[in-house]
Amino acid sequence: MNEWTSYRLQDFIPFTAEVYFRLLERMRETFWPLHLLTLALGATTLVLALKHRPRLACLLLAPLWAFVAVAFFFQRYAELNWAGGYVGNAFIAQAVLLALMALTGWGMDNAPRLKNPPVAIGIAITLFGLIIMPLMAPLSGGSWYQAEVFGIHADPTAVTTLGLVLIILRGFALWIAAIMPALWLVVSGMTLQALDSTVSVVLFAVLAITLVGLVWKSIKPKR
Amino acid sequence: MNPRIKHRITRRQSLTLIGATLIGATLTAMTLPTASLLANTGGMRQKAFAGTDKKLPVIGMGTWRTFNVGNDPQLLDARTEVVKAFFEHGGGLIDSSPMYGSAPDVMGYALQELGTPESLFAAEKVWSPAGGSAREQVAELEDRWKVEQFDLVQVHNLTDWREHLVALQEMKAEGIIRHVGITTSHGRRHSEIEQIMASEDIDFVQLTYNITHREAENRLLPLAEERGIGVIANRPYDGGSLIKNLKRRNAPLPEWAQKECGCDTWADFLLKFIVSHPAITCAIPATTQVKHMHENMRAGYSSPMPSANARQRMAAYIESL
Repeated sequence: MNEWTSYRLQDFIPFTAEVYFRLLERMRETFWPLHLLTLALGATTLVLALKHRPRLACLLLAPLWAFVAVAFFFQRYAELNWAGGYVGNAFIAQAVLLALMALTGWGMDNAPRLKNPPVAIGIAITLFGLIIMPLMAPLSGGSWYQAEVFGIHADPTAVTTLGLVLIILRGFALWIAAIMPALWLVVSGMTLQALDSTVSVVLFAVLAITLVGLVWKSIKPKR
Repeated sequence: MNPRIKHRITRRQSLTLIGATLIGATLTAMTLPTASLLANTGGMRQKAFAGTDKKLPVIGMGTWRTFNVGNDPQLLDARTEVVKAFFEHGGGLIDSSPMYGSAPDVMGYALQELGTPESLFAAEKVWSPAGGSAREQVAELEDRWKVEQFDLVQVHNLTDWREHLVALQEMKAEGIIRHVGITTSHGRRHSEIEQIMASEDIDFVQLTYNITHREAENRLLPLAEERGIGVIANRPYDGGSLIKNLKRRNAPLPEWAQKECGCDTWADFLLKFIVSHPAITCAIPATTQVKHMHENMRAGYSSPMPSANARQRMAAYIESL
């Protein structure tokens, strides 16, 4: 038997769906009502992006990525998966990258137009990450405790960030800033697929739409 | 009066005494069966292993995925209940690995809560990096399990097996561990496993064997019998998908299953198929639920086990579904 063909996606996921969804609940149990603050920060970031303050918007994202790295990956996810520590480091790297971009102004789109399709896609993805994603668990029969929130949980943080960078960045910087959140959504989507969760489809759909936005904005960088 | 006459007993007293003795012996035999009787009739069926007269219950417990719950208090207590049910049924072998995330810590938590029963046969594994790390890995895992000694330490998926086996054999000779083994799964690297079984002094081999994955029957299981190597069957439900699919489809047990094999559930059917193979020492199903643990363990009780013909019939039935 060919060794590699004998592996299935499930063989790489060392925990059950029950444990994963409990992990989401434990974030709520530990950090509520911090969720309200991170959601407010997310909304503020969107407003700043649309008010042509991209550097400040980018700067606000950085500490949230660092918080998810520590609270979600280092302190909890890494207990379940030896790769969790590496992902945490990648989230820290993303926080540093966003902070550096904000401080240097590299790749900032200082006047995004709402009518520009990639910007409109970015707004839609951001709103989806901020508003719809927290509602997905309770609306699909799960508990409110499993609601995933921007700035607390990894998936909505990555989704919202992809939407925001589509608004505030352009050129090469846009692609660089999108790599880490996109890679995490691939990993998370595959994990959820292995756990038989339909949320995986949502994450892959967001990825596909983001890719359309990235390509579109790269083809037409000037308004 | 002659004292001998004084103590002479009458015929009636003799008959009473003989009768009482017979009744007493019968009652004793009924209430206190010997170990061999327990092994083959009343309790969990057991099998001798590794060419010794020691025996292991035929149903053990795996921990891959199911026991990796981190430090979640709610799930730690839930898994402790699963372990409790396992021991209440007389369970023995529990298998884990440093590759299973927090599973060794969760076992440590459960054993601290429940105490460590004599029936426990603690099985662990070592993996990369090799070299001098086997001793350190075993010591660390003992701390995590909160046990003084592992009954079995296996080389996980043949990772650096040459270096690890040398180290484990030394540890066995020094009395640090009791038995040495190797593992594989999913039918991988069987030719290398065969070579190790034929040439190395190992007590156990762990491999995938279930009603839909029977490659091991060709060479590895006969070789294990010939060499007196105990065999632990992992993935008895093919990672859970086998029994889940049967239950989801409401597939009926065949009518002959109860009479020929004492099977009342799919767990009985699938596990009895495995442990009735003469070369298999035990199967290690994994579960997160107490209810499923009860089901699994009942399959090891000593109702009829399938004969060789019945085993063929069982495999054919599953293929037909």
